[in-house]
Amino acid sequence: MKYENPSIPEGINYSNNHPLQDLFLMLLVFVGCIIISIVMLFTLTAHLAKNIPFSTELALAESLTFSASDDGERYPELQHYLQQLAEQLARTEQLPDDMSIYIHYVNDATVNAFASLGGQIYIHCGLLEKLPNENALSMVLAHEIAHIKHRDPIVAAGRGLSILLALGSMLGIGDNSMSEQLIAHVSNITALAYNRNQELEADNEAIQSLLRRYGHLSGSVALFQILQLQKEVPLEPPEFFSTHPLTESRLERLSALAQSSPGGVTPLPPNLMTSINCE
Amino acid sequence: MGNIVVFFVLLSLGYVVGRAAERNHFKSIRKRERRYRNILCFSERRPPPDLTLPVNTILVSGNVVIAVDYFKVVAAGLRSLIGGQVHAFETLMERARREAILRMKEEAKRHGAKLIINVKLETASITKGQRQQARCVEVFAYGSALVSAQEK
Repeated sequence: MKYENPSIPEGINYSNNHPLQDLFLMLLVFVGCIIISIVMLFTLTAHLAKNIPFSTELALAESLTFSASDDGERYPELQHYLQQLAEQLARTEQLPDDMSIYIHYVNDATVNAFASLGGQIYIHCGLLEKLPNENALSMVLAHEIAHIKHRDPIVAAGRGLSILLALGSMLGIGDNSMSEQLIAHVSNITALAYNRNQELEADNEAIQSLLRRYGHLSGSVALFQILQLQKEVPLEPPEFFSTHPLTESRLERLSALAQSSPGGVTPLPPNLMTSINCE
Repeated sequence: MGNIVVFFVLLSLGYVVGRAAERNHFKSIRKRERRYRNILCFSERRPPPDLTLPVNTILVSGNVVIAVDYFKVVAAGLRSLIGGQVHAFETLMERARREAILRMKEEAKRHGAKLIINVKLETASITKGQRQQARCVEVFAYGSALVSAQEK
């Protein structure tokens, strides 16, 4: 028997894969898993958030501080007018009895309006002064009321919160106080992002209630023309329906509907409109 | 945000420095293995039967501790989520085993031995991290060096 130590070839005890390639593949799988779980969370929260009672949403909204100011107190007549119009539209839209609408008038020049948690609708002076008639204003308000009726704000907030929480826990950032911080953070997102489908459904609802109220859609088309003009202005901050790539197709759809049912346009109260002065 | 920046800085630092250190270590291991090729190692408990010279036995040992770099920690952490071969730790263990045997051979050479029998390897992970992760590996090699009794 001969005793010897043969020279062992290199690399038989370990794989010669490049470590970065290995890491990249693992990251790919990991990120894939995260994306799948986020998609699942998205769909789940959408279903669950809709079942949150409106009273709970109201309580949540009250505990949050919104960054947008409310200048309604300085313009009581305008505030009253907007609130009245919104309540009439809410009735037309058959908003459930436990839901309530509250209009906030924001006196700045941004062309924006949005629905937020707890049935709050913010309308900015910039948009209001561009609206040519009551029909267009009704279209804006009816659209936002439809968001509230469909529970879109709470769904969007729930989605945002669950995703922040999921990412936070997956990446291991933060601790138990994280959720509280996040809720406070979500409150700053006053303009919640809605997806195309939510926007389209809100549009449909708004069109229905406008048809019920006025019997036609004549003046409402103006709103979309304004929005389209707005899109062409560069360097505008994220504005009304900025998540909305559908303005042109909406315009076409509405124009067709408006032409099929012509009718007179209700003007806006002139004294109120001259009193506003955007900052 | 800061956490993520720190994470990527550590990751790339771990990758660049760790990889350079590993390459140099392997180079040095190969060089020394060629130098000590004449010292034979066996896991046999008894000396070779054709050994006729009277010999003394001396316990020789070699010990090494190698730390894991941050890149390997991350790669192994990800691997533990997915499962499969932990490629990041394979080279680490290889380096540690070969280095421990080399150090044992160096000791045997100091005693003038040409043959080590009953060679065994012990492995331990030390320095458990915050989440009970092994951050260092120790390999201890030991055996009985046969030293010619006549030369002494």
